[in-house]
Amino acid sequence: MAAAPSRATPDFVPATGSEVLRVADVTKSFHRGPPWRRRDVEVLRGASLRVGPGELVGLVGENGSGKSVLMKIIVGLLGRDGGSVERPDRLGYCPQVPLVWEKLTVGEHFELFATAYGMSAGAGRAAAESLMDELRFARYEHYRVEELSGGTQQKLNLGLALMHEPQLLLLDEPYAGFDWETYLRFWEMSETRRAQGMGILVVSHLLAERERLTRIYELRDGRCEVL
Amino acid sequence: MSRTAVFAREQLRAPLTLVLLVSVPALFVVAAADALSDFAGALGGDLAGDAAVALSAGWAAAFVSGSLGFFQAASSRGADRRLALAGLGPARVAVSRITASLLLATLASATAFATLIVKTDLAHPWHAAVAIWGFALLYLSIGVLVGSLVRAPLEGSLLVVFVFLLDAFAGPGMTESVPPWAISQKAADILIAAGLGASSPSGDWVKLALVTGGALLAALVVFVAAARSRA
Repeated sequence: MAAAPSRATPDFVPATGSEVLRVADVTKSFHRGPPWRRRDVEVLRGASLRVGPGELVGLVGENGSGKSVLMKIIVGLLGRDGGSVERPDRLGYCPQVPLVWEKLTVGEHFELFATAYGMSAGAGRAAAESLMDELRFARYEHYRVEELSGGTQQKLNLGLALMHEPQLLLLDEPYAGFDWETYLRFWEMSETRRAQGMGILVVSHLLAERERLTRIYELRDGRCEVL
Repeated sequence: MSRTAVFAREQLRAPLTLVLLVSVPALFVVAAADALSDFAGALGGDLAGDAAVALSAGWAAAFVSGSLGFFQAASSRGADRRLALAGLGPARVAVSRITASLLLATLASATAFATLIVKTDLAHPWHAAVAIWGFALLYLSIGVLVGSLVRAPLEGSLLVVFVFLLDAFAGPGMTESVPPWAISQKAADILIAAGLGASSPSGDWVKLALVTGGALLAALVVFVAAARSRA
């Protein structure tokens, strides 16, 4: 098993070669309760998976199996106890619960994230318009997030992850709240990106579109098994 | 539009924020001076008259700024972290977020100061203005610091109010001896002196600048650390 990452060393190694994501032997435990009644909950016990360029990979598992924990470790929102993660700097992350600002408009979100991704104003604007058209929510550009339905918030959540054309796209339950038409469009969009060479990891407790996936992992007892 | 302006506008879009930023400091200055004097009498202090009115302006700015700082940091935590991870980095997000809060805290300070000017005839109005702003910056820092560490609205806001009450009731004019941990001591000394028509020694100004700068720096460091935290 790989050593626990030191705070003084980089947490992520750039992915190279034939993979855009390589997760090896990742472990993670949480400590719960007060110090005198502390209990450790071991969530990941050596989880490993890989995603190549142009692959659309699924990660399934029961509720509470640690799928979102593994996703957050890959993104950098959570630290890991052990193991290694190799992934590119240019990644897109679509969290399970939209992490957005209630009082800002759709357009303002795209502007802020374009800056964060290092895109020029023109490129950010073009990417935002293209995604809003593709996901069919351009008419909500000037609406605040609090005024949007859950499904439209999820479209924004997905759009923010995609706007800089990442090498690796991480999607955590991305179609929650989508209507049937948008759900189908989501898979079309994923396949288009995949054909362009983007590596995509989709996390879900239920994956109905298995034939579209290159490979499916199941997270069980803290480890990933290929189905 | 800059990130700071977007974040400030985000806060002002809450229907009551602008109303509260303007009305609470004004009402506090109008209504709280007598209550402060009564509490001072009960606790062994000698705060009264224009000194009490001046001090109430500082506490008004402190209360509003502390609440503002807490809710800015706590309510936007998840989205701010996502923005930092997207490539902006936690330091730049922290600076934008705290600067946006600072702009709104300045508005609350200005309202408190304007009410104070209307209500009293101060010999050193600009001393009072700087001290009120000092109160606002100190409590903005405390609010941001608590908001970076405590996400739950009830626990976090109670913690900010608890610090506020301890500091207010142990501060200059309220008790005979001021404890060393009273963070707003120098801001209060300068405000009380302004209320009494006196100027303050340069040592008080230096200490106020050091405490305020240190508090803002601490808030920035804790905000960045919380945004980086991956426990």
